[in-house]
Amino acid sequence: MYNKAEVTRELQKIPWFKEIEPRHLEKITDIAHLRHVRAGEVLFREGDKEDFLYIVIEGRVALDIFVPHRGKVRIYTAEPWDLFGWSSVTPTIHQRTAGAVAVVDGVVVGIDSAKLRQLCEEDHDLGYLVMRRLTNIVASRLLVTRLQLIDMFGSPEEKNAK
Amino acid sequence: MTAIAPETAKSHSGFLLEPHWAEITAITPEADGISTYWIRFTDPAEQEAFRFEPGQFNMLYLPGFGESAISISSNPQDHEKIGHTIRFVGNVTRAVSRLKVGDIVGLRGPFGTYWPMKEIEGKDIFIACGGIGLPPLRPALYHIIQNREKYGKVTLLYGARTSGDLMFPNEYAEWRKAGIDVEITVDRGDANWNGRVGVVPMWFYQFRIDSRKTAVLTCGPEIMIRFVIFEAMARRVPSESIYVSLERNMKCGQGSCGHCQMGPYFICKDGPVFRFDELQSFFNVEEF
Repeated sequence: MYNKAEVTRELQKIPWFKEIEPRHLEKITDIAHLRHVRAGEVLFREGDKEDFLYIVIEGRVALDIFVPHRGKVRIYTAEPWDLFGWSSVTPTIHQRTAGAVAVVDGVVVGIDSAKLRQLCEEDHDLGYLVMRRLTNIVASRLLVTRLQLIDMFGSPEEKNAK
Repeated sequence: MTAIAPETAKSHSGFLLEPHWAEITAITPEADGISTYWIRFTDPAEQEAFRFEPGQFNMLYLPGFGESAISISSNPQDHEKIGHTIRFVGNVTRAVSRLKVGDIVGLRGPFGTYWPMKEIEGKDIFIACGGIGLPPLRPALYHIIQNREKYGKVTLLYGARTSGDLMFPNEYAEWRKAGIDVEITVDRGDANWNGRVGVVPMWFYQFRIDSRKTAVLTCGPEIMIRFVIFEAMARRVPSESIYVSLERNMKCGQGSCGHCQMGPYFICKDGPVFRFDELQSFFNVEEF
């Protein structure tokens, strides 16, 4: 187990947390834990109950979706300072929509999603910062997903020059 | 007129419209539907005289099928053979896929502008490319490796649809050994892929880019290029330090036929490599 000072130290390495006032950081640290993960370790599976929002400190975590007849398809990888499991903070999604597996050894911070939501309700200044950050993450994921949907490498008839 | 390459179409005299004959000496399969064809001019004197700059292309001619613009993917210092990495997607390139070692093709070139290797000396180089966009940049990588001391930090961020679509994977170790930070990503991974998953532009956040001294070179699907430029400029890389290689339907290779026109430019003659500030005003315009 890691103590609170270690969790605080790790969170303070993340640029976003540098914007947060100490009183808010302390509240988040109270509901956060550090977790060492081994390559191949599953953090959660599709269909699991949403419980934690994660931030990668070290390593790489892949998000995957099981596709019948194709197996698990890795759709995204999160690296240091990236978040995953963000939908757990929204009030409407209660099940994991993708699985998460560490592809190399690493460290993640897990933040209790229900408690974070509660903190945001109680303190709207903190809530604004958290939701602003999550909005940036969602916008970024939406763009990435759009580019994946376009399948930009997949229009061969238009690519006859190279 | 582009400012980066004073000699816009650096073609060999006599190569402008008349194809010269070359023999396929080897074929290297690269990925599904993509192979590198190694050729030599049948006339040794022509082979000896042939020179190109990284980023230029040749017009490959197959009698009965026509011509196709193909970027040169080989080492500019290797005067023994010329490499073209070809995706079999059109009439001509599908016919090329049926050729074998010993067959003869016609060749005109080299054409077009090139990566400004001289002008970006002393800078950090950030190469962001995707799919079949790596082959036109491979000669630039070879040039950097041969002149490593002339460049600062060099990063190659390369993406493909899947791990099986990655070009030249056997060379990455050698490039890394030469001091190039090779970073690979794929759009879709399977359970055996432990590398990055995600489109090329999204990974910019993982790199420290010093906008004052970094040149960005990019080539690949135009949609990827748009977002690479977006990410580079979000990090304050000036448009004068971003270089783009574009592809269009090129026919004549010398700016005469107009097939490859983009705004005021003919990609075959004024490009394919442009400095982004030259394209900026109409790059995001629909239908261009």
